[in-house]
Amino acid sequence: MQVKDCMKGNVVSVPSSATIASAAGIILRNRVGVLPVLDEHGKPVGILQLSDLLSLALPDFLNLVADVDFVHDFGAVETSRPLPEVLARRVTELMQPTITVEGDSGLLRAYALMIQHNVLDVPVVNAREELVGIASRVDIGTAILSSWSPEAKKP
Amino acid sequence: MSLAIGLASLIFVLSLWLIFSEKLNRSITATAGAVLMVVLGKLLGFYTEAQALAAVDFNTIGLLLGMMLLVALLEPSGVFQYLAVWAGRVSRGRPAWLLIMLGSITAALSMFLNNVTTAVLVAPVTILICEILGISAVPYLVAEAVLSNIGGVATLVGDPPNILVASASGITFNDFLTRALPVVVVVWISSLLLLRFLFRRQLSVRPANPDALLRLNPAETITDRATAWRVLLVLGVAIMLFFAHHIIQVSPAFISIGAAAAALVWVRPNFDDTVQRVDWGVLIFFTALFVMVGGLEAAGVLAAIVRLIEGVGAIPAVMFGVLLIWVAAGLSAVIDNVPITIALIPVILGLGADGMQVGPLWWALVFGAGFGGNGTIIGSSANIVIANLSKKTHTPITAELWNRSGLPVMLVSCALTSVLYVLLFPLLTH
Repeated sequence: MQVKDCMKGNVVSVPSSATIASAAGIILRNRVGVLPVLDEHGKPVGILQLSDLLSLALPDFLNLVADVDFVHDFGAVETSRPLPEVLARRVTELMQPTITVEGDSGLLRAYALMIQHNVLDVPVVNAREELVGIASRVDIGTAILSSWSPEAKKP
Repeated sequence: MSLAIGLASLIFVLSLWLIFSEKLNRSITATAGAVLMVVLGKLLGFYTEAQALAAVDFNTIGLLLGMMLLVALLEPSGVFQYLAVWAGRVSRGRPAWLLIMLGSITAALSMFLNNVTTAVLVAPVTILICEILGISAVPYLVAEAVLSNIGGVATLVGDPPNILVASASGITFNDFLTRALPVVVVVWISSLLLLRFLFRRQLSVRPANPDALLRLNPAETITDRATAWRVLLVLGVAIMLFFAHHIIQVSPAFISIGAAAAALVWVRPNFDDTVQRVDWGVLIFFTALFVMVGGLEAAGVLAAIVRLIEGVGAIPAVMFGVLLIWVAAGLSAVIDNVPITIALIPVILGLGADGMQVGPLWWALVFGAGFGGNGTIIGSSANIVIANLSKKTHTPITAELWNRSGLPVMLVSCALTSVLYVLLFPLLTH
């Protein structure tokens, strides 16, 4: 089995010229956790995660106080929104650099790369480095597991 | 001999410049400067290794190490968070009261603990309180940096310049309580009022939901109750012994190291974690500065400065003290106050040896070096650390903002101190 056999093919992505606000809208409408960011040739240049967006709304004290368990009511932070000028910035300012794997690479190679780079999702590309799909750790991991059962076909 | 004076001064000034311009870490700079000074001294025959070792004031190093170990034990227990959250609750979210409570807690703590540590431990909770109230943390953070510098002046153990001066002059812990503390109380109150005025616009915004603040429970912030009590008890005993150190004939350094040893034995922490929280860079910086200034003294630089001062002629003793307050304050606003103090101490000792009444000058140095640090955003380590912390928030403290808040506080503090200095001159002479 190869990565292209377990990846999600109909991937939602965002152009690198998009704003943070529009990317947030795409994530909201499609209920996805991650958006590959593509250049004008359809090549992934980065990845925008739901957690990157939410970091804009998290309080500053989260990074400064070791344990926030004693804060039972986040008060004003609970209802805070990122400023309009922040939401108007380009996604390229918030996205993280990403690794990619080719559709014909092996499952363990893809999984190993994800472990090493500590990512949960990896964009899958073709020979021209264009985005063709996206695979999560669950997609690749369960595909690997499926070969463990006795009924699985021997390669 | 003039070659020695020239080259020794060059090493010192160059080191200060490297530290000031932040081109090189201050501990690395001072270590290299100290080594160069000894090499120069051996080549020109004015400074030996034995003299360099003797120049290190182990009273200061020991006192600092002991207090750092105690704070390193106390820090993870959550006591500082407790105090800051308690202060926030008492204010019930009213901005002016929050400023007074947080500023005063910081001042009171830094009377006994390192200013930087105090500021660093109170500031994160301050940011937390301000965020849940939905107000800017800037006025409170500036107040904490400023008040930690002011509170540090009050006691012998409050700030390194005090320890240095006490060690050189024989001034006791109780002398500080009767001479420095009253001045600090006046400066403390006036600075809070001044900050209240300077930040009047930010402080007039009433937080929408003070209930979130009242829902914080200070007791929940204590992560290690047993350690907190043990270290606080040891610290309390140490402070009581400080009161009596001249009667029981032990140095403050011995009390500090003794307290650290007692707390370590009682708490038995993971020692590697504890020593990691000790600021070794500061101890190395101090040791190296002592060696460097010892070289300046041996080369005759400081004697030359003493002659220069005496050559200026007969300034009345009171005016000379006021002048020293402003010179020390001006210098410590732009450079770390520790090199200033270490360099000025032998000068004052030299003036004393030539028959000048130097008792009041020690206090002028303490006040100037302490309050001067509020003049600029880089004037003291507490300012630098708070400003760096605020960079991690949405509203960083800028140098320009500091010049509109910290600088007026420094000018008013020094002006008030000068007036008090003139009024209390007979008392300071003792």
